[in-house]
Amino acid sequence: MFNGLALEVFRYQVEASPVYGRFVQNRGIDPGDLEDWREIPSVPVRAFQEIPEGLVPAGPVEAVFRTSGTTRSTRRGEHRVRDLSLYRASLLATASSYLRPELEDGTGAAARGGGAPLRVLALLPPPAALPDSSLCHMAGVLHEEWDDGAGGFFADVGWSLDLVSWESALRDASRDTVPVLVLATAFSLLGWLDRRPPGDLPRLPEGSRLMETGGYKGRSRSVPKDELYSAIESVVGIPAGRIVSEYGMTELLSQFYEPVLRDLAHRKAARRHFVGPPWVRTRVLDPVTLAAAPAGTPGLLSHVDLANLDSIAAILTEDEGIEVDGGFRVLGRIQGAEPRGCSLAIEDLLEAEGSS
Amino acid sequence: MKSRADGLVTGWTTFHLPPGIVPDGTPAVISEGSGAGPAKLMLAQFSRPGAEGLVASLLSAGPALQARPIKKLVATLGRVGKRLLDRGDPLRAEAEARLPTECGLSHAMVQEVIDGMAREWTPERLDALLAADFPDPLVLDGFRPGPRGDLLRAVGGRFALHVGAGNVPGVGVTSLFRSLLVKCPVLLKPGRGDIALSCLAARGIAEEDEALASALAVVYWPGDAGGALEEVAIREADRVVAYGGPVALSRLRERIPASTPLVPYPHRVSMGVVAREALTSPGAARAVATEAARAVAFFDQRGCVSPQAIWVEGGEKITPQEWAAFLADELEGLAKKLPQGSPAAAVASMVHQLRGSAELRKAAGSGDQVFAPPRASWTVLYEPDSIPFTPCGGRTVRVRPLESLDRLPEVLYPFRGLLQTLAVAGGEAARSQVAEIAAACGVTRVTTFREQPFPPSWWRHDGQGPLLALVRWVSLES
Repeated sequence: MFNGLALEVFRYQVEASPVYGRFVQNRGIDPGDLEDWREIPSVPVRAFQEIPEGLVPAGPVEAVFRTSGTTRSTRRGEHRVRDLSLYRASLLATASSYLRPELEDGTGAAARGGGAPLRVLALLPPPAALPDSSLCHMAGVLHEEWDDGAGGFFADVGWSLDLVSWESALRDASRDTVPVLVLATAFSLLGWLDRRPPGDLPRLPEGSRLMETGGYKGRSRSVPKDELYSAIESVVGIPAGRIVSEYGMTELLSQFYEPVLRDLAHRKAARRHFVGPPWVRTRVLDPVTLAAAPAGTPGLLSHVDLANLDSIAAILTEDEGIEVDGGFRVLGRIQGAEPRGCSLAIEDLLEAEGSS
Repeated sequence: MKSRADGLVTGWTTFHLPPGIVPDGTPAVISEGSGAGPAKLMLAQFSRPGAEGLVASLLSAGPALQARPIKKLVATLGRVGKRLLDRGDPLRAEAEARLPTECGLSHAMVQEVIDGMAREWTPERLDALLAADFPDPLVLDGFRPGPRGDLLRAVGGRFALHVGAGNVPGVGVTSLFRSLLVKCPVLLKPGRGDIALSCLAARGIAEEDEALASALAVVYWPGDAGGALEEVAIREADRVVAYGGPVALSRLRERIPASTPLVPYPHRVSMGVVAREALTSPGAARAVATEAARAVAFFDQRGCVSPQAIWVEGGEKITPQEWAAFLADELEGLAKKLPQGSPAAAVASMVHQLRGSAELRKAAGSGDQVFAPPRASWTVLYEPDSIPFTPCGGRTVRVRPLESLDRLPEVLYPFRGLLQTLAVAGGEAARSQVAEIAAACGVTRVTTFREQPFPPSWWRHDGQGPLLALVRWVSLES
């Protein structure tokens, strides 16, 4: 099923995006000849920096999402999104599966207002403040769809955290006995825990959960995940087993989650690796040959995401990962196994400019 | 080469110590990279008293070293250099056996690299280095008449710490020799891919002259794991010489006492220029491409001297794009003669990102061309537009057209402060013009593609006399 759809999407994209079409043609590939989605030529994430306009069909777009960071040697990556409703449908269905799996029991669908009341508290800037952040957009959709009316966003456009309002919102949720969905980056959680206002917080109501995303890349401080999770558990009582890590990229309109809440619901051992929705496939590739890496060997993550219908579905990342039991773990931005020489490299330019 | 550490583990030693000094900590073992096969590295560990003892022993070797005539030092070090240059010497054979695994270069490349580096360690080249920095090298032996009637003497100091970086073999030995030439006892911490050659040179010195060997130690430690030895060395050093990236250098700078000078050799970027005169015939253009390809391929392009981009002047018989194709041909030929070693995963990843992006620009009608075999073994990117530029390594070179040499300042400007060597192909007028522009843009060495990979011993390393950077002058006024 995926194979047929993926090939259909590929053929559509070859027609719809003339640049991608010629890219495929220049490689001597006849789109009609492909029989396996693994053969679809992927586009490097870097192309979203260098030639973003070439990755989408001509015509108006509804949003432009951008990656962070800009230096004299790199531009910010841009993902031009023609149809936000597709993004919304994709992110909502996946988030439902992994952040609110209980909605699937009974009705089997995450209908608006379905399930028990939930409060969405985001330690993120609101989407209106950062309209080019795909993460904030996603949090905005979840807030719109799921929040009981008392939740909100607790960072400003510069990612400064309003910790007083944040903790007051946490107290309100406890008082109202409404379970909370916290949406945050690992770094903003750390910023909160490092600079907590004085005074203990009540435990959050039963059924509360937390989605954490993004690493600490280029940040001043990092701590291991299990330390972060146990600190959260001790401060607000969300057990580590209800903390879900999310892996997303501006360049992909689908997201990956750790299926820990589903495992919890099915009384299975919690799996701490990423899985995606059925319309995404991920491969781990040898960084030199780009052939499939032997099972259990780290390599470059490459995704085919059919939610990228209006851009390019097949994306080669710069992230190193390892295949695990139908999903993958992310080891981080790929690094040299051995140190390089004395030649300047991209990291030096980034470091020299103090950029993350 | 492989020695028993503790009766349980065998592996390569990563240190060479003065006579009578042994590591007093528990030996640690780490696995070595992916090159020709895995190997274990045995690390020397020192307790605080052990570290104090090692540094004290180096300090105590100072007076004898300082009393040694410079001529004799050159002769001893030069003999070691010649042994490393001699493919029949056991010291050289051991280096060749160990380096491919250690630094991830192919055996053929390792041979070329040792040849190129060791050529600068021979007595003639060491004499030339001294002469370049000291019109009268005897200032290292005692007070000598200066230009104004004063007497002058150059003093290297009691003890120095040299910190190598990365995996360009030979950097450590050069640094070691420089310190001994100014008669300063030295602890060298080599880069991860430069341990073997550093240790073998130290062993060669010990075999030639045991007394001299008491003035030097080579000890490798990974990243931040210097422990007591690094602390004691930083505290006692009169001078610290360090190679590395901006983060490593600034961390080191913070740890060094304010009164201790740091001689930093940060990562640099090098480039090339092909002027019109070199493009008047296919033969001439190809000859330049042959040399440029070697400059790109050497050290698998990890060197600060390795060209990452080449600007080619347009308007001649051979166009910049045609020249890019010549360069690609030559790199393909070298892929067989001097095969690439095992590229770092990050470099290979970047190569695929750059190639894919260039293919997309080409598909968008930009005029880009990608010359590359399927594996990430070399890549020529012909880029007509001045898009932001990322050095990559892994034999990945950008060829960019240049309307005329007058435009060179604008293309070099983004790299101000980071540039090192600029190779030029063309006539004397072009060479002069490029050299003036290069000087204004912060380039410190202008040369040919043929000479680009191996600077002579006497080069002004990053713009400074390498021995002058290691001495303090004392004047005795009349």
